[in-house]
Amino acid sequence: MLKYITKRILQVIPLLIIVSLISFFIIRLSPVDPLAELRLNPSISQETLDKEIKRLNLDKPIYIQYISWAKSFIKGDLGYTSAGEKVSVKLKERIPNTLLLTAIVIFMTWIVGIPLGILAAINKETAFDRMLTVISSIGMAIPSFFFAILLLIFAVKTGWFPVGGLTSYNFNEMSLIGKIIDISKHLVLPVIVLFTISLSGLQRQMRANMLEVLDSDYIKFARAKGLSESKVIFKHALRNAINPMITLLGFEFAGLLSGAALTEYVFQYPGLGRLILEAVMKSDINLVMASLMMGTIMLVLGNLIADILLMIADPRIRGAK
Amino acid sequence: MKRVLVILAVLIFLGIVLKACVRKDMPEDVSIDIKTPDLKEIVYPTDEKNVTINGIDYLQSQAPVGKFGGELVISTIGEGPKTFNPCNTKDATSSSMAGLMYDGLVTTNPRTGEVMPLLAKDIEINSNDYIIRLRHGIKWTDNKPITADDVMYTYNEIVFKGYGNPSTMDAMKVDGKLPELVKLDDFTVKFTTPRAFAPFLRQLSYPIVPKHYFKPYSDRGESVFNAFLTPDTNPEEIVSSGAFKLKEYVAAQRVVFERNPNYYKINLKDEKLPYLNKLVYLIVGDTNNEILKFEAKEIDALSLRGSNVAMYKIKEPNSDYVIYNLGPDTGTLFLVINLNNRRDKNCKPYVDPKKQRWFGNRDFRAAVDWAIDRESMVKNIASGVAEPLFTAESLNSIYLNKYIKGHPYDINVTKESLEKAGFKLKDGILYDSCGNRVEFDLYTNAGNLEREALGVMIKQDLEELGMKVNFKPVEFNSLVNKLTNTHDWDMAIMGLTGSPLEPHDGKNVWTSSGSLHMFNQRPANYNIDDRLDWEKELDEIFAEGAVKLNFEERKPIYDRYQTIIYNQKPIIYLYSPIRITAIRKKIKNIFPTSLSGLLYNLDEIYIDGGEK
Repeated sequence: MLKYITKRILQVIPLLIIVSLISFFIIRLSPVDPLAELRLNPSISQETLDKEIKRLNLDKPIYIQYISWAKSFIKGDLGYTSAGEKVSVKLKERIPNTLLLTAIVIFMTWIVGIPLGILAAINKETAFDRMLTVISSIGMAIPSFFFAILLLIFAVKTGWFPVGGLTSYNFNEMSLIGKIIDISKHLVLPVIVLFTISLSGLQRQMRANMLEVLDSDYIKFARAKGLSESKVIFKHALRNAINPMITLLGFEFAGLLSGAALTEYVFQYPGLGRLILEAVMKSDINLVMASLMMGTIMLVLGNLIADILLMIADPRIRGAK
Repeated sequence: MKRVLVILAVLIFLGIVLKACVRKDMPEDVSIDIKTPDLKEIVYPTDEKNVTINGIDYLQSQAPVGKFGGELVISTIGEGPKTFNPCNTKDATSSSMAGLMYDGLVTTNPRTGEVMPLLAKDIEINSNDYIIRLRHGIKWTDNKPITADDVMYTYNEIVFKGYGNPSTMDAMKVDGKLPELVKLDDFTVKFTTPRAFAPFLRQLSYPIVPKHYFKPYSDRGESVFNAFLTPDTNPEEIVSSGAFKLKEYVAAQRVVFERNPNYYKINLKDEKLPYLNKLVYLIVGDTNNEILKFEAKEIDALSLRGSNVAMYKIKEPNSDYVIYNLGPDTGTLFLVINLNNRRDKNCKPYVDPKKQRWFGNRDFRAAVDWAIDRESMVKNIASGVAEPLFTAESLNSIYLNKYIKGHPYDINVTKESLEKAGFKLKDGILYDSCGNRVEFDLYTNAGNLEREALGVMIKQDLEELGMKVNFKPVEFNSLVNKLTNTHDWDMAIMGLTGSPLEPHDGKNVWTSSGSLHMFNQRPANYNIDDRLDWEKELDEIFAEGAVKLNFEERKPIYDRYQTIIYNQKPIIYLYSPIRITAIRKKIKNIFPTSLSGLLYNLDEIYIDGGEK
């Protein structure tokens, strides 16, 4: 097991190198010039421009820029943004906010989605199942940004919820309970959007897996053996139907930091999404690279976790390795 | 049958709903008078005065006495400040926030645009000498006195070394030389410029920083200094001088300032300003979110754009806000024509020689100018919230040449000019005197919807004359590259922000060796004198304007430059947007001016009424 994990972690290294190479060169070869605005500012002198070019390393060929970036990345130094702030500080400011949002959403979707999927599968083609199908189709069909805008308009018209953000401006003067209520109030709308959208997919997936398993010969055999229905479903069907879901959980883990970017943007949520979007627009290379690397590592890590969980859950896989 | 009925019912229902929506969203054709600036009714009493109480030199506000307390919540679009170091600000948000925290020796009179003392008590100018006397008894937020040492430190160790944002150093240089600075006593310093240089005085608005707080960082070199006072600095430790001090910064959410009890401005009752307890900037990502926040009453002021103006104006009588028209802003939109007649390294002309003949002909440029319908541009593209523009200085500039009245759209004048220049119209197609078809490219930066719309309109206007215009929106950076490096373009629609106070800031655009002399860009270190007659005159004007110190002496000089541009038309100006802002009625002591906008006097603003 340990050997397997080490092997997997070692496999990450070439992956990171490839991802970083591709993304670095694509960003640098795109025609976005971080200094275009400065160049068109009548009061900026040529010396100032040259100084900026030097500071941002733009005077060197791309491969040297890449090497110097890679060197400091290996040392754990993420460098500075083009505005001169530390990338690590910027990320640290935003990561907890994004984690808070995505963790709540993932927790809720799994707590609600899995049982709903099972229920839908057991009560296949009843009124309950049909209703769920309609609701989840709607959930899957609505684009997240559109749903978010609808909710924002709702918030403005009713005044029940704040329009975007995470805390009110007088947050620091609130009592602890006040603070919790304030944050919850701000979280309600973005959570609703993300929850509705990911719930539908998860619920449908679980239902499909469960149906497939319920249709298999060993379930028929178990039923024929006279086992109670609850035993058939929870002991035999569920254990087998959950495997694909564990793989899915790995992907969800990868989405912890980057999955909510669009919704974050619409709700002006102070998470990573807004930060990275702006960085891409301005070709702020260190910031973009840091977030891409983070995304890659999270994806690989998520897959690894899913594999380990699968091994624990499924004796067949354990045996194969 | 039943199914058909159901579908029909649904369709009818949808139709009604959509109809209702459409009707509600289309502003009815109410003629709204947004054009009249309502600034004249509200005039600030008189200028601030110096008052000495118990040996402390205060600055006394002349605005009506207000109520203390309360908070003002406004917004800033984008990702918020990048730094609170006033010497290292490179974007508008950072510099306005750092500007709240650190005052300069002088400031601009928000009404007249003149230079007036701020941290300095007064300034004595004897030709090249500027003797600056500081206020006695005023303090930093940590109660240490503000003295000449802080001024000496700020200029000698930050500005003159080019630390942080070096634009002030660039602007202070006269023929490559910096002014001299000597300390006369603890509260007096003297600057001496190498020769008379008018733009110098305004540069003294550079923020003065506390030596005891900044020096440990600036001593460790420029990179340490540039990373100093980033937004995550603990607000408690920041030492500042301005009306407000930092209380809290929350990334991507807000910046909160609180009143500085040590501030040196007082009201008419000799009470210390500012009135506001707290000043909150919410960081919002885009204008749509800003509008939502204003609607939800989370923010107190909103700058309105385009079609929103009409909507808010209709709702104004029954609302809790007032709308102010602040007049045209400093932004200009223009059509620039490439007069370049040089060749590149391979002896290939940058601009096709036949086009050089057209563009170099003043009558051709005049024909283009008269063919542009600015009125309908303002109406259709800017939703009426703009003013046609004919001058190189922006409409709120104190140096605006008021004698240039502009001209209407008149296709007959165009036709006459074209005829005079030897162009002939045959079957709706325009040919030059050598029989070449008039066809050229028009560039602008893609993605800017306003400029793209302008391009389409200009193309239409010019094609009515029989010209063929290939309108090509390109990526912003490629456009900049064409304008500043490769010079292979014919016409372009661009915009620049100007300074309403100092025309000399435009020298990079107007002098023949300037780095943004777009319409006839010369390579760096170009030493052949191929200046056009009027380019020579512009060079002289900008050299002369810089050494004249009096506004009265400078005004006619800069009037002349605007006349030259208007007559020669290398750049054809289109329009300037008008700034319109809505602000809650509970906010008092608002004295909007076209130069400084609405919220420039945050230290005098107070809140009266409202539920807060």
